[in-house]
Amino acid sequence: MSVFPHRRRLLRASGAALAALALTLTAACGEPPGQEPEGEGESAGLADDPQFVWAVTGADRQIHEDVARLWNENNPDRQVEVFFLAPTADEQRQAMFQDLQSQAGEFDVLGLDVIWTGEFAEFGYIESLEDMRGEIEGVSLPGAIDSSQWQQELYALPYSSNGAFLYYRTDLIDEPPTTWEELYETGMEAAEEEGIAPFVGQGDQYEGFVVSYLEMFWSAGGELFDEGQETSTFLEGDAATTALDFMIESRENGFYAEGYDSMVEDDARALFQAGEAVYMRNWPYAIPLLEGEDGEESAVAGEFAVAPLPTFTGEGTTSALGGLNNAVSSLSDNKELASEFVLWAATAPEAQAILADHSLPPTMLSTYEDADDPDFEMLGDILAEAQARPPVPGYNSLSLAVQDSLHPAFLGQQDAATALQAVDDAANDALAQD
Amino acid sequence: MGRIFLAPSLGFMALLALFPVFYAVGLSLYNIRGFSRDLVGVANYVDVLTDPGFWNAAKNTLIFTVASVSLEFVVGMAFALIMHQAFVGRGLTRAVILVPWVIPTAVAAQVWRYMFDHNPGFVNWVLGADINWLRDPAWSMVGIISADVWKTAPFVALLLLAGLQTIPRDYYEAAKVDGAGALQRFWSITLPLLRPAIVVALLFRTVDALRMFDFAYVFSGYSNSLATLSVYAQRFLVAEPRLGYANALSTVTFVIVMLVGLAFISRMGRHMVGDVGRKERR
Repeated sequence: MSVFPHRRRLLRASGAALAALALTLTAACGEPPGQEPEGEGESAGLADDPQFVWAVTGADRQIHEDVARLWNENNPDRQVEVFFLAPTADEQRQAMFQDLQSQAGEFDVLGLDVIWTGEFAEFGYIESLEDMRGEIEGVSLPGAIDSSQWQQELYALPYSSNGAFLYYRTDLIDEPPTTWEELYETGMEAAEEEGIAPFVGQGDQYEGFVVSYLEMFWSAGGELFDEGQETSTFLEGDAATTALDFMIESRENGFYAEGYDSMVEDDARALFQAGEAVYMRNWPYAIPLLEGEDGEESAVAGEFAVAPLPTFTGEGTTSALGGLNNAVSSLSDNKELASEFVLWAATAPEAQAILADHSLPPTMLSTYEDADDPDFEMLGDILAEAQARPPVPGYNSLSLAVQDSLHPAFLGQQDAATALQAVDDAANDALAQD
Repeated sequence: MGRIFLAPSLGFMALLALFPVFYAVGLSLYNIRGFSRDLVGVANYVDVLTDPGFWNAAKNTLIFTVASVSLEFVVGMAFALIMHQAFVGRGLTRAVILVPWVIPTAVAAQVWRYMFDHNPGFVNWVLGADINWLRDPAWSMVGIISADVWKTAPFVALLLLAGLQTIPRDYYEAAKVDGAGALQRFWSITLPLLRPAIVVALLFRTVDALRMFDFAYVFSGYSNSLATLSVYAQRFLVAEPRLGYANALSTVTFVIVMLVGLAFISRMGRHMVGDVGRKERR
């Protein structure tokens, strides 16, 4: 959607019409990417005689259904039923917690967000899958394997992935930048000439902001934890300060678009699509929309390209890794079958190909090798270097602490040094076993 | 005999209303992490009272409650007085004024959030201002208070209007004959006779405002800048699952709301007695 027509429409409307329109707009803009609102919290009805149940996000529903159908065709006696959870992460976690904590045990296979492994393992909710390590090493993305383990023990197997692109305007920028400084300078210059914003991305106070910050932090050479995940190394070296200072300074100079501090994926996409920004950090889902496929209106169709995110040194790239891992519920009464399915979804080329066909990034390395789409091939390279957010038991608390301290610091409402110290404390707390 | 007949329904009510409360209080005595559960006694309550996050949430809730309830009372009273006048289109006005009240809060919150958002920046455009409504803590508090006033002032107006309609017209006529001005009539007749309705309206609004969740959560999630007691409890129920702690927080919130409610009801009761006394004198 373009932004300014909406403003005019909004102003013209009045009374109830305004409320109704605003409602429609909110519905149109507020949904996370790739979400299909209907049909969450229900079984898909794919199996006549289901032997086990796979609980997975209701986003990208078609893809998970196709994967389950393929399994059912190959295993007519051991069919799987899919239970679709809500598309938002918090609700998915809540539904799975309820199933487990109340000992209901309806779900056998759990589709876990990459950051939940440690928490579910620590709570005793999922089975160790350590004996399957040999099957995925060298087969799945290394970052995805990192996200499947807690304290060097494997508790899940990779299923889907996601990584960030730097979207840039080919009509304004000749060569994509390799360092953040270069990105800043070229962005500011082009934006001033065009009268648009240099950069849009995920700046609201939520997980997206944490990811944006961590990508800068990692690309400045930082690591959240030591090798054995026993203590926080957040403040070791100067990565934490480098990243935060860069963000604060850039914000003060007008590098981030107006409203960046309340922007989520689709807000950024809408602005970029309307031609209102030079650069955008976003996930791959935006490409077909920006190209104007399926009747989308796009002001930048044919005038944008994607590149890996820059770093502070100019070497390599860093993206936070998204996606899902499948785990086996400790309450399952069909654990063997469940773990067989989990392994199949991770390593069967035909299962992983379904994801690739629907442009949901798979985790199997080989799917990227013989891709004819250059963007997809680049995504493979990005994901090979992508970093897993450490799936420690307290990851969510850590993320909330980053949001509570670094977001105000970014906006100049809080002292930067205090904020960084608070994150370091929260990182240590996130490891605690109490 | 009557008590025997009442017993089943009383028992049923106790089961529905009291069981969850006691169950929650019971859970709040444990430290629950996944399948492991240790009895820790009042440790969770000690944590609550020493948790700066809790006090921050309490402060936010207090600011929100005091500001929104007083504004709602003033605006609602104005609405009620207007609707009480006989004029053409009165029925339509009453219906229109109630529109905000019938919109589900979560939906209203989304609409308001969108209007406050920088893109497209509707509220800033109307005000000709450049205010960060969503991420400046002070302004976002102003934002949710105005949204809540918009939403619930009609409810207050409706309750007050019902009260206004019970005041006999002849009081006003008699006062007019005695030479009382409009303001004096309002202070000496309307306000005192409206007191029961006012207390009920304030009771409902205060108790409701103390539990407020939707606006704060939709505007800024679990962020400390707006987190109310309910949002803070929800945070430990869902986002950082510590069930025992979440239940302790909920219990503390429940006690606060209950005490405030009881204070109102006891005042209301005393007033009702006073009311009867006056009637007898008359």
